[in-house]
Amino acid sequence: MPDKKILMGGNIAIAEGAILAGCHAYFGYPITPQNEILEHMSKRMSEEGRVFVQTESELAAINMVYGAAASGCRAMTSTSSPGFSLQQEGISYMSGSELPGVIVNVMRGGPGLGNIGGAQGDYFQATKGGGHGDYKVITLAPASVQEMMDLTMLAFDLADKYRNPVIVLADGFLGQAMEPVVIRKAVTALPEKKWAVSGTKGRQKNIINSFEMDPAAFPGRVKVLLDKFDRMQKDEVRFEDINLEDASIALIAYGSASRAALTAMNLARSKGIKVGLLRPVTLFPFPYNAIKKLANKIDRFIVAELSAGQLIEDVRIAAGTEMKIDLVARYGGAPMTAEDIIEAIEKAM
Amino acid sequence: MLEEIVISGFGGQGLLVIGRLLADAGMIEDRNVVWLPSYGAEKRGGTCSCHITISNEKIGALYIKRPTAAIVMSPSALTRLEPLVKSDGILVINSSLIADKVGRNDIRTVYVPANELAAEVKDDSVANLVVLGALIAHQPITARASIITAINTLFSKSGTMLEANTKAFLKGYTQE
Repeated sequence: MPDKKILMGGNIAIAEGAILAGCHAYFGYPITPQNEILEHMSKRMSEEGRVFVQTESELAAINMVYGAAASGCRAMTSTSSPGFSLQQEGISYMSGSELPGVIVNVMRGGPGLGNIGGAQGDYFQATKGGGHGDYKVITLAPASVQEMMDLTMLAFDLADKYRNPVIVLADGFLGQAMEPVVIRKAVTALPEKKWAVSGTKGRQKNIINSFEMDPAAFPGRVKVLLDKFDRMQKDEVRFEDINLEDASIALIAYGSASRAALTAMNLARSKGIKVGLLRPVTLFPFPYNAIKKLANKIDRFIVAELSAGQLIEDVRIAAGTEMKIDLVARYGGAPMTAEDIIEAIEKAM
Repeated sequence: MLEEIVISGFGGQGLLVIGRLLADAGMIEDRNVVWLPSYGAEKRGGTCSCHITISNEKIGALYIKRPTAAIVMSPSALTRLEPLVKSDGILVINSSLIADKVGRNDIRTVYVPANELAAEVKDDSVANLVVLGALIAHQPITARASIITAINTLFSKSGTMLEANTKAFLKGYTQE
């Protein structure tokens, strides 16, 4: 008997995924196109006897996540692009303080207040450390409503594993879309957190901060973080590859853009054009090695992104300066269609 | 079988609801579905669209550029969608609100006086179910019974709306 599927919206799947993962505290401030997360959590967290706070700003939300995470519970905030900008300082502080936590960004058109259409313009901000200082954050990119749930659950596990924030980087189209979803089993055993500030009865005090007065000591503290980021790059790279064995053109896309790329790939294949698809699931750590290997056996990459040329920079780093790489860019909240990518494939032939 | 349906008109006409019924009916038939609304700034009277994909295969693109079937509920929706419907596709037009005729002859067109028919059942609020009925009658995207089951589930909490919506759907389904 296959698992029963229910029709669910992407934003709702994120909220339910967080609840299944044992998220004890949610803090958020309304912004389209992620409002359904906040709305759903306002109802469900109280039903579950957990913490829900509609904060006065995104800034407050990320700092409440900092506080809740320091106390040892699983905590999350969700926002969209302009709000994500406001949270960068807090994410840097969390990484510097080695605090786990999940930040969901359902991206919309930017820069500035932009518009409410889906977009992927926060790629650099998420993957390169959008706040100050030497830090990185694992960035997970769902491409279906099922993955909105699954990767949100994974985000909590990875955050605890590395004691570092994790970003779920989705886009407005996925947030608003509905698809069939299999509800996963709830996590029952959460990891013990001996480092948490949970009351000092019977033990020495724990200190959580990102500040180091001793100039001789701070480089060592940063090195501890850098070693973690290296381990992430070694152990946490995730991607999906389809039809790459005999491909001469490889499409590279994530999130809802990868869905248009999948349709374009199938259409091209039906016309006898050998096209494959590599879909990064982790944007940091990025699948540099997989793309580098691919560059040795294919003729061309076509990068499709809902931004004006951000993902393509990582593809260029992996593939080298000589490789042919075309860009299909839709930005400012405009959707990617399969036709957009087909056009680029046919142009490349 | 890949069905790509775009429903377009004014906010408040219940376009997202009939899109939802199509998606639910697809799921009842164990097929893959995607339901994508245009969202956010849409409001009563503003432009509103809903994209629904139903397929036996894994579904790629969420956004449909060239639909195999379209329902239009406003003059501007007809202007926008008429050139985009795929050849051999179907275009259902609410002729109560749209006076224009379709110029293309490579697609099937169905004119439904949905608001008049809806008034015979209840009022304008069920015109959406009338056009859905007309679409399913002329293009069996899902079985009629699957839509009826979807209506029964979605409106199970409201007896009067359940009855009116069912009647409106059948009215659209049986009109010539």
